[in-house]
Amino acid sequence: MSELSSALANLEEEKVARIIKQELGTGKDSMGVLTELRKGMDEVGQRYKKGEYFLSELIVSGEIFKDAMKVLEPTLKKDGGGPATKVVIGTVKGDIHNIGKDIVATLLKGVGFEVYDLGIDVPVKAFVDKVVETKATIVGMSGLLTPSFESMKETVDALKEAGLRNKVKVIIGGGVVTELVQRHTGADAFTDDAMEGVEIIKKWSAKSN
Amino acid sequence: MNFEERLRTAINLEVPDRTPVVPLIYQFALKHKGRPIVPLAGGNPADWHKIIQAIEDTFDDLGGYDAIYAAGVTWPISSWRINSAPGNKYVSPGERGIQKDFSVQYEEREVMTLEDYDKIANVGWNEFLREYIPRVSGISIEQLDTVEKTLLNIYKKDAEKWRVRGIPVMSGALLISCEMTLSLVRSLPKFMLDIHRHRDRVKAALEAMTPDFIQNTFTDVKESGIPFVTFSLERGSGAYFNLKTFEELFFPELKKQVEAFAREGIISVLHMDTDWTLNLPYLKELPRGMCICELDSTSDIFKAKEILKNHMCIMGDVPASLLSLGNKEEVIAYCERLIDVVGKDGGYILSTGCECPPDARFENVVAMIDTAREHPVPRSR
Repeated sequence: MSELSSALANLEEEKVARIIKQELGTGKDSMGVLTELRKGMDEVGQRYKKGEYFLSELIVSGEIFKDAMKVLEPTLKKDGGGPATKVVIGTVKGDIHNIGKDIVATLLKGVGFEVYDLGIDVPVKAFVDKVVETKATIVGMSGLLTPSFESMKETVDALKEAGLRNKVKVIIGGGVVTELVQRHTGADAFTDDAMEGVEIIKKWSAKSN
Repeated sequence: MNFEERLRTAINLEVPDRTPVVPLIYQFALKHKGRPIVPLAGGNPADWHKIIQAIEDTFDDLGGYDAIYAAGVTWPISSWRINSAPGNKYVSPGERGIQKDFSVQYEEREVMTLEDYDKIANVGWNEFLREYIPRVSGISIEQLDTVEKTLLNIYKKDAEKWRVRGIPVMSGALLISCEMTLSLVRSLPKFMLDIHRHRDRVKAALEAMTPDFIQNTFTDVKESGIPFVTFSLERGSGAYFNLKTFEELFFPELKKQVEAFAREGIISVLHMDTDWTLNLPYLKELPRGMCICELDSTSDIFKAKEILKNHMCIMGDVPASLLSLGNKEEVIAYCERLIDVVGKDGGYILSTGCECPPDARFENVVAMIDTAREHPVPRSR
């Protein structure tokens, strides 16, 4: 692992900022820098899986990554980059909890997905419209309360009615989500763990590419 | 055994005549009785008596049970009043276009600054509030005190109704843990970053909060006359923070508080939402028979029994999803398993995993209560 990847994995904020500045200053291409950052984020995920890191480390790494992207983004546009798997994500209609959804969105961006974050209290139609517009192949719905289950189900049904259900994989997430809820809503997967959600989405993406 | 004896037997880690059952039914009762769902101490105060009536009627519709978790709509809130400050508020169903049959939700924003940690560390919690409350809400601490005194008096009257009926009330004070309080007013991501960047400043603030939290809670318990304090602990768990942070920053404060209450004979009800499985061994350091470990179905309650048996009463954890989407048979099967394993040799209270969801099926809640009445408590010998 490079020095930059290690610094991110070790949550060394200042060191990450310093190395990025140095590398861009010496002409390193920004796509290469981004690749190193993503390796660092992957390592954070590995440490979480092993029980060495917790939610707080995921959030801190996400913040470091976001700060790094602010520096990199203007130059990335010039360099371009390969096509990424598109994910539409949001907290479902009626539910205004954002923290879990935000963490997953940041982590997905960190490992290279193109994320369309619709925010909180997202109407059923907004999910469907975004999938049509972006041709996303993955939909992530978040909800922290039992009444959210109906909103999740309505969204899955609406994707079906729009003829999109066989074109997208749907994952639901939140503290009270269980297998029973997955069956009720018709989603393809469920999770109550942000990093597990990212892993499921990574597997789906790997299969489809 | 009467209700009080059954509850006390479980807390004392002895075997009751049957498993006590105490569902948390606030929002469920409002939905069941067709009342608008509003937060605790929310909505129109003129309607609060109707809310209490809805809770009492639902209690009776369910056939009654062994204790009421909180007596009424105005839970004593001295120690967490900071969370009701503008900037952080509850959003009720019907507000902002949210469906009317939804749940109450807490909207979290960053209202406390980084510098506030230092102020808390320097002057303590209560003194800090004198400057903070007017800054974020525009009202004085004296005005807030008056409101809270009124709320406490209403709570006392509600508690009296249950006392007359012989139903124990399990909360005489509500204490939102130091870390939970700070994370709510800083916002969770900011609080996590603060711990990463300014660990010593956060630690100093947490340490300075504890003496006032203890004193405020003593005041509420003395006023309410109910020797139980409910700890809202969610955000200290291993679902959020590593064990080093828990050991160094959070657990020492929890321990000081629980020990202070135990010395005065006050039972600490540790309301532990999210996954605390990793943290469970630490609970053995808390005074034996003086706490209830209340789990919400995300922690491993069976592991909790292995670790805490003969040390701490366990309460929980029928999952919200099972109560709202499952059927009666599934609820009965899960409750029987809880009684057979977690309830073995006593020290267990059957309950909903956190609050019973408003959309729980009525027959499922009845099935849960009936299972506690009918399914025997297993004994080793």
